[in-house]
Amino acid sequence: MAKLSKSAKLYLVVVFAILYAPIFYLIFYSFNSGGTMSSFEGFTLEHYGAVFNDTRLLIILMNTIIIALLSSLISTAIGVLGAIGIVFLRNRKTRNAVLSLNTILIVSPDVIIGASFLILFTMIGVKLGFASVLISHIAFSIPIVVIMVLPKLQEMSGSLIDAATDLGASKRDILTRVIIPYIKPGIFAGFFLALTYSLDDFAVTFFVTGNGFSTLSIEIYSMARAGITLTINALSALIFVVTLGLVLGYYFFNQRAGQTPGTGGAKL
Amino acid sequence: MKEIVRAAIAILLVSAILLYVVNAMEKSSATIGGGSISVYNWGEYIDPELIDQFEEETNISVVYETFDSNESMMTKIEQGGTTYDVAMPSEYAIEKMKENDLLHPMDHELLPNLENIDPYFLDLPFDPGNEYSIPYFWGTVGIAFNPTLLEGQTFESWDDLWNPTLEQEVILVDSAREVIGMGLNSLGYSLNSTDMGELREATDKLKTMGPNVKAIIGDEIVEMMRREEAAVAVTWSGQAADMMWINEDIDYVVPEEGSNLWFDNMVIPKTAGNVEGAHAFINFMLDAEVAAQNADYVGYSTPNEEAIALMDPEVTGDERFYPPEELRERLEVYENLGLEMLGIYNELFLEFKMDMEN
Repeated sequence: MAKLSKSAKLYLVVVFAILYAPIFYLIFYSFNSGGTMSSFEGFTLEHYGAVFNDTRLLIILMNTIIIALLSSLISTAIGVLGAIGIVFLRNRKTRNAVLSLNTILIVSPDVIIGASFLILFTMIGVKLGFASVLISHIAFSIPIVVIMVLPKLQEMSGSLIDAATDLGASKRDILTRVIIPYIKPGIFAGFFLALTYSLDDFAVTFFVTGNGFSTLSIEIYSMARAGITLTINALSALIFVVTLGLVLGYYFFNQRAGQTPGTGGAKL
Repeated sequence: MKEIVRAAIAILLVSAILLYVVNAMEKSSATIGGGSISVYNWGEYIDPELIDQFEEETNISVVYETFDSNESMMTKIEQGGTTYDVAMPSEYAIEKMKENDLLHPMDHELLPNLENIDPYFLDLPFDPGNEYSIPYFWGTVGIAFNPTLLEGQTFESWDDLWNPTLEQEVILVDSAREVIGMGLNSLGYSLNSTDMGELREATDKLKTMGPNVKAIIGDEIVEMMRREEAAVAVTWSGQAADMMWINEDIDYVVPEEGSNLWFDNMVIPKTAGNVEGAHAFINFMLDAEVAAQNADYVGYSTPNEEAIALMDPEVTGDERFYPPEELRERLEVYENLGLEMLGIYNELFLEFKMDMEN
């Protein structure tokens, strides 16, 4: 890649500054002893203390994480198998039709997905709460995983599978020892994307929460009616740091995975 | 493959640990026996300490959940699938919920503390005899203003908002009934007018206010007034109290032509699973000391006479938030005007907003 010119670098800096300024502004005021976001009066950690003292908020935070982890894990499993199924569809027309159906789910507004889930759940008598939120999160994450995994699958050469078959691999071996190791980066990318989608989803969750079960985005939205307290700032700062850690971890993992494709084959 | 399996197991383990912790935390906050109730309230609309106190006193554990608008709350209850035992809707929502048969009647025998409530707030037109609802908080709609930014100008009448010196200074709350109601009030008409001529006149008058209007927004009003980014706002008394809490320069007034008197009330939805527990909670909230502590925390006006006696007289003697009875005469409670009329109000409000853009 050619070296960036000075103006290009400046442009990058400005864009990132604009994108990150609101987040840092929010984090900055989480240390404010003044109690509002209007003026900075002094440094304090009391808002962080308040986060850890509010059992309800902590339970909601943990629920949000559990939902995100479980829903992205399950949707990754379903999505990967679905993507493999789609790629191996013989009929071109059916394949395109299935892909379009998948894309429609991604582009259709969350509000509609959420509202239809609410109607479905109440019709079949699922009690709103943990299960309803988990199911709907799995549902909207699957198409995302499929989209993330597909390019890797398409890029895989068909002769790899032919070679494996020639060498006597069973169908199961082909799946677990050829296909899945090859598309691993796609699987992890899909998982992490599903994780972030689930963590910050508001619209779908809004419809299907109930009976005391709530996620962070819903809770913060409700709290905002009486003005956002700095506790929310503190919590957001913590989440930002955790997300940053996740991204760095993912990056580190990818770096390592990027070096292994050659040796990965030898391990078989 | 191994790596993926390992990652999956790790994720499952983390989830299991978190689930265990959540369960443990919920158990430690819930006392065994006495059952539980779930309360569905506006965000930041109760002192959380009171929930703990209630759990300790009654052994009933409370599942607390919040909503942001009457409409979303009603949808959740109407759809079923939820078992809220106590909810806090505003008065017009109660009429609607009554019509749709979503409410469980109150058993006044189980609510001995009801006698603490000022009779003025009982037996109101939206719920005669308090068959379905018990008042929680109340307030008014009025003008919040910052005299230091206005060279000492004061407000007595809605018409003061049309003063040409206020160019680009006034913030309106983004709500059709409040704004159209202000237009109607300024002309001396009723807030609940269904007369098309009066409504048209009010909208046309509102349009002439255009140059003075800085913004039509929601909860951001509080922050903008606190930061002195705007000098005047038409808003609810509770929001005005929130502003004054931080910025002592701000003042609040209910214009002399009259205004809206609103109530948030406690109700028991039809879908409630623990009606007895719900009554216990409502009765607890009606207790004088509890209501006083809650009003201190939330900052809205309490209808609880005995609680007012316990509170700081400087707060309860403040006519801006506890208007004496002769002032209340000029205030009107919103009536449920029906879907069609509400549509007309919304349309006129939209027309007013569109006109502002020019």
